[in-house]
Amino acid sequence: MMQPQQPYTGQIFQPTQAYTPTTPQPFYGNSFEDEPPLLEELGINFDHIWQKTLTVLHPLKVADGSIMNETDLAGPMVFCLAFGATLLLAGKIQFGYVYGISAIGCLGMFCLLNLMSMTGVSFGCVASVLGYCLLPMILLSSFAVIFSLQGMVGIILTAGIIGWCSFSASKIFISALAMEGQQLLVAYPCALLYGVFALISVF
Amino acid sequence: MAYHSGYGAHGSKHRARAAPDPPPLFDDTSGAYSSQPGGYPAPGADVAFSVNHLLGDPVANVAMAYGSSIASHGKDMVHKELRRFVSVNKLKYFFAVDTAYVAKKLGLLVFPYRHQNWEVQSSRDVPLPPRQDLNAPDLYIPTMAFITYVLLAGMALGIQKRFSPEVLGLCASTALAWVVMEVLALLLGVYLATVRSDLSTFHLLAYSGYKYVGMILSVLTGLLFGSDGYYVALAWTSSSLMYFIVRSLRTAALAPDNMGGPAPRQRLQLYLTLGAAAFQPLIIYWLTFHLVR
Repeated sequence: MMQPQQPYTGQIFQPTQAYTPTTPQPFYGNSFEDEPPLLEELGINFDHIWQKTLTVLHPLKVADGSIMNETDLAGPMVFCLAFGATLLLAGKIQFGYVYGISAIGCLGMFCLLNLMSMTGVSFGCVASVLGYCLLPMILLSSFAVIFSLQGMVGIILTAGIIGWCSFSASKIFISALAMEGQQLLVAYPCALLYGVFALISVF
Repeated sequence: MAYHSGYGAHGSKHRARAAPDPPPLFDDTSGAYSSQPGGYPAPGADVAFSVNHLLGDPVANVAMAYGSSIASHGKDMVHKELRRFVSVNKLKYFFAVDTAYVAKKLGLLVFPYRHQNWEVQSSRDVPLPPRQDLNAPDLYIPTMAFITYVLLAGMALGIQKRFSPEVLGLCASTALAWVVMEVLALLLGVYLATVRSDLSTFHLLAYSGYKYVGMILSVLTGLLFGSDGYYVALAWTSSSLMYFIVRSLRTAALAPDNMGGPAPRQRLQLYLTLGAAAFQPLIIYWLTFHLVR
């Protein structure tokens, strides 16, 4: 060591202005026994995931506004993979389309919701809500494995499931962003997005 | 070594040390600093996963901190550039809609003949948002109608067994190109023909986007009732759209002091409005007839 007491004053290391970490977790020591469980480190909380799933599955239940305070992308990722897997079971290898459409759809909803609401939203929140409400679509694509959806029954079922998905998504968005009188206006773009997913499932 | 101790001096500003180090590999003469950070969310990303730094390597810490500062700096730069081109507040005005407004406006687009008062109301020189004034233009309906038109075109081509994802992109790009050309032509016309007006680019975008509602109706009728239904719906939506455009733009394009301008200029404004209106059926037909063959 050359100058033990002189602080380093180089130019390259300047994280202090922009970098303000929050340390929500207590400091974990280096020893193995003190390490937190893996799921807690990763921020995956199965109980919350289950609660959010139940909220999606009961479209008529009033949603709690604070439910989307912590954006959680683990559940939506699982649902996207499950959707792709059920499509695979039907013989359509279209993971790329699923991911591409979800990315573009989330981006579009993010822009639209930021323009339409008083308070803004974060992209993670939009992606999380849209991902959770993809769950009924997985039901539709698993039906498509067993029998073809191109008849009248299939059309009615598809329309019902699209309505279910977009209704849940708009309900959560409305309660989280406190937008009044705009539920149908938020539900329509969601219905367009889920309609594209249904198009992939059906055709 | 100097680097390491210097790093520690900076690190002490924002890392709390709560446990003694393992047997140190080097002399550490700085103050309290921790060898590994707790979890912190990466700035700019709202994903709730924490990175527990397993390497204990100060160089990697520096790199990560620098990278996160670069990321937030990049995000600020994007926001600044975006704000230079698109004024988000002005754009928000066009999206301040509610369900009742959208329903009434759609009804107006299909049947505008009973509507009496076409003036855009304003309170204290600020135009009222669409929620409170039926005559105010909005951008929600044109945007949704455009996207619905693209999806409907895909579905119509799918029914005709001519679908492929590239065709969807082709349809979307064609329609977008026509919108851009029409808005530019209208901007040029407005610039040449008026002294001053309240018609900004977004207003013209809104008015030229309303034709997509007519397009969707025509295509749906054509799919349900065949070619005859398509032509009937085309004629009806074209005439109501022409009426709507003429009535709306006449009150908006004239200068607020209606003495406004010499007679040739007023006639020019009238020609502009009529020209814009007459252009609508042509473009509706051009963009939809290949879907309803």
